[in-house]
Amino acid sequence: MATAELSLKLQASSGSKIKDFINANLINILAALLFLLLAFFLLYPIIAVLLKSFRGPSGFTLKYYQAFFSKNYYFQSLYNTLLLGVINTVVCLVIGFCLAYMTTRGPWILRKPLKIIALVPLIAPPYLFALSLIILFGRNGLVTRMFDLHWQLYGFGGVVISQTLAFIPLAYMMIESTLMSLNPNLEESAYDMGASEATILRTITIPLLAPGLLKAALLIFVMTIAEFGNAAILGGRTPFLAPDTYTMITGESDFNMGSVLSVVLIAPCILIFFIHNYLLEGKTFTTIGGKPVASEPRKITPLIKVPFVIITTVAAGAIFICFAVVFAASFYKILGVTNKFILTNYLDFTSNQAIYNSIRVSFVAAVIGAIIGVLLAYVIVRGKFFGRTFIEMVSLSGFALPGTVLGIGYLLAFSAPPLKLTGGIMILALNCVFRFLAVGVEAGISKLHQIHIEIEEASADLGASFLTTFSRIVLPIMFPAFIAGFIYTFMTAIVSLSAVVFLVSPGFELAAVKIFDAAVYGEIGIASATTMKLVLIVMICMMILNYISNKTRLGSGIAKKPA
Amino acid sequence: MKKKGVAGYMDSEENEKPMLILKDIHKFYGTNEVLKGVSLEVKRGELVTFVGPSGCGKTTLLRLIGGFTDISSGDIILDGQRINDLPPNLRDTRICFQNYALFPHMTVAENVGYGLKINKWPKGKTAARVRELLEMVELEAFGDRMIDKLSGGQQQRVAFARALSLEPKVLLLDEPLSNLDANLRLVMREEIRKLQERLHITTVFVTHDQFEAMAISDRLVVMKDGRIEQVGSPIDIYEKPANEFIAGFVGYVNFMDGRIVSIEEKTRDAVIATEYGKIGITLQQDDINHGDDVLMVIRPESVNISLDCGGSRQNVLCGSLKTYMYAGSIAKCTVTIGDRTMIIDQYNPRDAQHFKHAEKVEVEIPRSVHLLKKKK
Repeated sequence: MATAELSLKLQASSGSKIKDFINANLINILAALLFLLLAFFLLYPIIAVLLKSFRGPSGFTLKYYQAFFSKNYYFQSLYNTLLLGVINTVVCLVIGFCLAYMTTRGPWILRKPLKIIALVPLIAPPYLFALSLIILFGRNGLVTRMFDLHWQLYGFGGVVISQTLAFIPLAYMMIESTLMSLNPNLEESAYDMGASEATILRTITIPLLAPGLLKAALLIFVMTIAEFGNAAILGGRTPFLAPDTYTMITGESDFNMGSVLSVVLIAPCILIFFIHNYLLEGKTFTTIGGKPVASEPRKITPLIKVPFVIITTVAAGAIFICFAVVFAASFYKILGVTNKFILTNYLDFTSNQAIYNSIRVSFVAAVIGAIIGVLLAYVIVRGKFFGRTFIEMVSLSGFALPGTVLGIGYLLAFSAPPLKLTGGIMILALNCVFRFLAVGVEAGISKLHQIHIEIEEASADLGASFLTTFSRIVLPIMFPAFIAGFIYTFMTAIVSLSAVVFLVSPGFELAAVKIFDAAVYGEIGIASATTMKLVLIVMICMMILNYISNKTRLGSGIAKKPA
Repeated sequence: MKKKGVAGYMDSEENEKPMLILKDIHKFYGTNEVLKGVSLEVKRGELVTFVGPSGCGKTTLLRLIGGFTDISSGDIILDGQRINDLPPNLRDTRICFQNYALFPHMTVAENVGYGLKINKWPKGKTAARVRELLEMVELEAFGDRMIDKLSGGQQQRVAFARALSLEPKVLLLDEPLSNLDANLRLVMREEIRKLQERLHITTVFVTHDQFEAMAISDRLVVMKDGRIEQVGSPIDIYEKPANEFIAGFVGYVNFMDGRIVSIEEKTRDAVIATEYGKIGITLQQDDINHGDDVLMVIRPESVNISLDCGGSRQNVLCGSLKTYMYAGSIAKCTVTIGDRTMIIDQYNPRDAQHFKHAEKVEVEIPRSVHLLKKKK
């Protein structure tokens, strides 16, 4: 290779013009292929839902929407869903803030244990809380029988409680990260100028946190209204959009009405996704960077401390009790009703079969998801083609879309030729891939942002072609992101319920669906045991993920900006 | 302690009482002892600088004085009052953080007036005081600006004005200049010093930059590994360092071993035997005796370097010139004498031409050289 050419970029290394073109445009070709995949497996199903909601037996019609807006039942469903979203968001924010405040500003000894408790719900499928509430407060619940109570767990209240517990970690994580990014010197300065703890909170901490809190609120709201499991299990006669969609499809086979419900559910999600990603982008207060230091504990005044401690204790206690109860219930046929300690719940054949199926589906989803995620991240960060932002938006949107919508979408899109996928493992896996793509892509993007383009340019400068650079330089550096995407997709897929519940075929049950059915039919023991198995699997995944992220933190230092 | 630097703090009996006393302060983080018994008195109106390599405990010490970190043992006495247990909002100290910690959601005036508002000053009085402070730091036209619309130097002034708003007894400055570029740093350093002298405010300054420390301070407190290594005026620290660490920390230094072979009691003239011959000096210190093994502290700029290497005069060593880097006002030379390399700064290097090609040079060790006594 001529040394004179080396300073030129990629093109320098190849001879012929066609090769030249392919080499120079490989990234664009890759982008086009990826976009086709996104279009087919993410956009097309959603469009299918949208079309279905307008298409009656004789072409275009608005009658399904008319039905939606004229029937009191549907209005009630929408109202309940939105109200649930608002209440849940507010409660989660308050609890999340208290927890995050204590773990970033409170006494050292409390920080770690509180953080662990706040994050523990992450290892549980969200419907674990619905299950534990049934065990405790259901018609035959422990507490119900013990005090001979006649309350109604099934309904709005039950859903709110289980949803709140399920979304505490999300709220906590988002608020904690904004609190951590807040320069502790700001609060210390206010303290130094004579402000009390409460004054600091009111005049400094909360105003500065506001953009972060708003973002967290929007995200929690979207996730709450889209969440299926808790509302389906505990909703009882109270209608909510997500479970109603399910009944509409599986119970009444009314795909048109199901699609309308989906569109109504999707509208606020997409709106908020846009606000979140584009209007609030970069809307944070920036301060001059100094050395980032952990806040030292302050002497928190009782006025603040008492309510904070009460809220934190109640939340932490509730989370702990829910886990303990499900664990205990897994050793009885129905805890509190039959008092014989048994292990057979864990040996149940259908449950184990379901777990096995779930692992298979999730593994396939994780492999495909991680690969697509890394490639998409690369294309998004390094590509310079038109529509780059659009690809980014689409690939991140799966997360904001309600699972039920993608469930129906897949059912509509892939149940007939040209691509008939229903009934197999692939439709489940692909559904999970595109629903949870965002995390893999985000991991890849953040990893790529740490790598200077100069590293790739240096490789090209030394004479490597695009493919060589990509396989020898980019892929090895991206490997941690790949693994993170893999594990994350795997553990999210294995507990996910809302979309796959539409797609499982008789004879091929998944663990999450098995738990859902068992919980609904009162097979508490089986449901609990299956849940515990999932908890164990997710826990192992988390540990691996944690190990990897600790390992690669050392490695990423090299790629960072030299000081 | 000799009086050096600014005058004006020795007026009356009252003023001789130290403003700030640190008594045997220890600080543990877990089992890690980051401050190992620090004691110091800071006089009224004095500017004292804690300086040392990173991790020496200087910032921790500043945070202890400010009340942001609890002390493990010892006492902090501010103007005669023990303040160990007072939180920052009840202490009469104000801190300027390295990153300024200006409130990004407030204007310049709101930032400066924050402490006044917290302390319930009436509105009119607050406004007047804010105006006065902004005038003081020459930002009177910037009151309505948001913080992110200011340059680094302007932000620094706002932080300074905010810290001074409540007229603290002690002002704490944590590396206030480290976020500014080199030229601005020099300007701001002079401004801070001028303002500090004008307001006669007791100030504790923390920096890792030894030259900044020397330029701005009445006294330097050189720290290392949680201990005070030496306290003294900039001249004392530079010319009479207490040990090798300090000698090397405040500037480049050449060390040379030797032994005192004679001392003339009246004139304090002494002769040191070195492996390169005898060096005659005038002893500046009282603690050096006949027969002591010493380390000569030879600053690069104190050595005279000249061409050719003829006769053997006293204090003149012959060496070979290894490198000669001309940089305008100064030329940096490295000279090897025996197996030792010396760094020598030649100021006003007019005959650089000749030095460029020289091989043999003469090096003259000054008689005023400082000695460190070697431990036996």
